[in-house]
Amino acid sequence: MSESVSAPPRRRHFLEVRKPVSKRQAVLSAIAIWVVFFGIWAAASASGMVNELLVPAPQKVLFTIYDLFAERAFAADVLISIMRVLIAFLLASIVAIPLGVMMGSFPAVEGIVNPFVSAWRYLPAPSFIPILLMWFGTGETPKLALLFIGVVFLLITLVMDHTKNVRHELVETALTLGANRYVTVRSVILPAVLPEIVIAMRQMLAVTWTYLVIAEIVASTTGIGAMMMRARRFLHTDEIMAGIIVIGALGLIFDLLFVRLHRQLFPYIQEKRR
Amino acid sequence: MSPAKEAAAEQAPILTLDGISKSFDLGKGKTLEAITGVSFGVSRNEICVILGPSGCGKSTVLRMMAGLETPTSGDLMLEGRHIDGPGRDRGMVFQAYTSFDWMSVRRNVEFGMKINGVPASERRDRADHYIRLVGLTKFADAYPTQLSGGMRQRVAIARTLANGPELLLMDEPFGALDAETRWHMQELLVEIAESTRTTIVMVTHDIEEAIFLADKIVFMSRHPGRVKCEIVPEFKNGKRITEKEKVIDLDGYSEIERQIMRLMREEGAKD
Repeated sequence: MSESVSAPPRRRHFLEVRKPVSKRQAVLSAIAIWVVFFGIWAAASASGMVNELLVPAPQKVLFTIYDLFAERAFAADVLISIMRVLIAFLLASIVAIPLGVMMGSFPAVEGIVNPFVSAWRYLPAPSFIPILLMWFGTGETPKLALLFIGVVFLLITLVMDHTKNVRHELVETALTLGANRYVTVRSVILPAVLPEIVIAMRQMLAVTWTYLVIAEIVASTTGIGAMMMRARRFLHTDEIMAGIIVIGALGLIFDLLFVRLHRQLFPYIQEKRR
Repeated sequence: MSPAKEAAAEQAPILTLDGISKSFDLGKGKTLEAITGVSFGVSRNEICVILGPSGCGKSTVLRMMAGLETPTSGDLMLEGRHIDGPGRDRGMVFQAYTSFDWMSVRRNVEFGMKINGVPASERRDRADHYIRLVGLTKFADAYPTQLSGGMRQRVAIARTLANGPELLLMDEPFGALDAETRWHMQELLVEIAESTRTTIVMVTHDIEEAIFLADKIVFMSRHPGRVKCEIVPEFKNGKRITEKEKVIDLDGYSEIERQIMRLMREEGAKD
């Protein structure tokens, strides 16, 4: 077929249905939305339209973040928050992943555990705070327990559902190759579902951060949430906003780490989109 | 057919199905008879094709041979042993892709041998052999997700054969492939059957495929599923021909194709 010379190049609209945009446009768009956000914020502060006490200027918040880390040992609070998230999340994963894979592989196990788990899943974790405080006092235990309760039941359910979605032909292939039940679960079902498990962990880590802030606001003297509650008492809105931004940045960093981990662990999935 | 081969074919079959039935309980005392009284045998080194319209239960019969389903009544025997559950002596290739995506092609092919305790060096040699047999040597270290559909089915065939089954079961293995890839795969299968002397039972609804591949066609009818007749494509003179157009050129090809099409049409009229 000869190339047409008369046809004019089709005009590319800004809005094209499901046409991917260039890398350059993607980066520019991402920067632009944040420039607009901080621009409106800075303009509102500078014009005096908003109460300086309630909405400090963005540059003041950024300086406060620096000041908190440099002068007021905020790093210790951040570190303890990260430790709480990681320890609780690790414990929840250690319980939820083996259990979820077992439930997704063996309907008999699902039959026992699921009626229990699905009831707990619908209970809002914060409703346990009063009883957790009574049981465990004010140490680290009630915070870790809240995070654990908030995440473990959802994670079990997600892992179970993903395990059930492993295609049955893979299981039958293993069986006709001579695999016993143990080999089928360990060598076929588990590696087949692992990429989905890592994605589920990524989603649940975000939920863990949510419960962390609740735990630290309600019942803690340490951590990012506690710092924000202290700041409220002294009307230090810049510190509250600094806390919010730090939590957001940490969430983003952990999310990116999980994306990296996924790419490292499962190179064959990347190959699919050449 | 050479006299020796003829004699072998007339030996007692290695796989026998004896009065296989499968019915489903619909409740209220009603049952649905899906398959009834299916009996036939498969001889050593034979390519037996089970052909029939959709809904005749041909896949169910194959799955029973694999031990993935159990008959309500009747008996399946492989070399004098009752078939009771899946086992490595009956390898299965499915229509859907079953490659283990997290393993390279080589590790896929080694998988069956590994779980059955074949030593590493022997495993590697046999994997290399079967990867070469299906023409994937260049792709031995690739992941299955990098391969085309036809290549992934070749991985599945190599993986099954490398495990040394007595019976290779194939459930519409080329059904998901495009027409050109399909006949390449059919010709490859004839070559593999010739060089490995593997006994093959294959399910298909593709008449051309059945005539080209089969030493014996078992035609099943539906409502309920049962064996309507066994057809031996005598026109091939017991030879395995690896080029499809040569088979189509043979006298007697179109006659047997017509015969099977009529059978199919009769079954279609049952709706």
